[in-house]
Amino acid sequence: MHTWNETAPIYRQLADRLTGQLLAGDPPEGEAMPSVRVLASQYLINPLTVGRALQVLVDDGLVESRRGVGMYVQSGARKRLRRSERERFLTQEWPLLLARLRQLGIEAGELNWDL
Amino acid sequence: MTTTNLIEARDLSVRYGKKTAVNGIGFSVAKGRVVGLLGHNGAGKTSLMKALVGLLPSTGELRVLGLDPHRQRVELLESLCYIPDVAILPRWARVDQLITIMSGLQPRFSAERARTLLKRTSVGPRDKVKTLSKGMVVQLHLALIAAVDAKLMILDEPTLGLDILSRKSFYEMLIDEWCDGERSVLISTHQVEEIQPLLSDVMMLNEGRLVLSTSLVDLDQRFVGLSHDAAAADQIAAAHPLLRYRQQGQAAALFDGAPPAHVEALGQRFQPSLVDLFVALTRAPEMNRTVG
Repeated sequence: MHTWNETAPIYRQLADRLTGQLLAGDPPEGEAMPSVRVLASQYLINPLTVGRALQVLVDDGLVESRRGVGMYVQSGARKRLRRSERERFLTQEWPLLLARLRQLGIEAGELNWDL
Repeated sequence: MTTTNLIEARDLSVRYGKKTAVNGIGFSVAKGRVVGLLGHNGAGKTSLMKALVGLLPSTGELRVLGLDPHRQRVELLESLCYIPDVAILPRWARVDQLITIMSGLQPRFSAERARTLLKRTSVGPRDKVKTLSKGMVVQLHLALIAAVDAKLMILDEPTLGLDILSRKSFYEMLIDEWCDGERSVLISTHQVEEIQPLLSDVMMLNEGRLVLSTSLVDLDQRFVGLSHDAAAADQIAAAHPLLRYRQQGQAAALFDGAPPAHVEALGQRFQPSLVDLFVALTRAPEMNRTVG
């Protein structure tokens, strides 16, 4: 079974997981998202909770709901997502990483960029 | 009372002689919900479920599928699905014989649907019940019950004694084959942690009283967990949390509603799990005894 942690409500964690997949191009732009039923079955989550997670993606402008046919990945979603994720990395993750590098006395030249 | 809810209970009590098993509780279950009924052994879960299906007398107002469970029990039992905690299937019977029996007993039963549901499992039509593992028997039971065309299913500890793989198969069948946005299920369990993702609502019973009855949406917003350093313990305690405990080695406190900003600033906010809430809101019977 999938494990969920206590950092956030389950719907939020599922939304983050689906967002991560969209960033990797799954599913591609213009394609249909898996249905609520499919996601509920796959993750063993209540369908209403899946609906809440998909609504987060709608609110973030990543997918759109087409009445009667389901959810589709918006065109440009990946680009926008990449932009916002870059922004988040630079403002939130990088300062923490930099502090850690300074703590350990690691210089830029010591880092292996070819991994 | 409105008739849109599948269950409506107000001031509902169940008594055995002098003992009160369910003590004046009120709740409703709408369509399309998965409601977890949690509580320690002896908290009143089984008594409540029996009252809901008319197998125990109760006082107060109670409507299940718009019917009075006591006076209209036969009609009610035909229109809902119920697996009691002591459910057994005849050991001598073959699966296809059980399907034939069910077809004769239950007017809303679909043999076709039962066969379809059983295809999901490793249970074959010619298998005898006595040759099946405990997990397979529960799967078979669920398939037989879920093949009844009903709006409400009541399951009393269906996963008791099953290993993790059997429980997973059970949850899969429940989500895939029962939850269609119209039908609801009330399920009692001790597997609080693994049932949580499946639920839309939760009810917690403690000594016959309903100590929590809420949707998971409201639950997410209502309760706040705060992990903190030992140094902040006194200030946290002064803010009267529901529960103080340790979580992964870290001191933590659980609040009903957001704590004041100066208290929240003392720690790191987290999403309390249903298990944390269960511990905070219910007490094991042996603990109650020492409290008196």
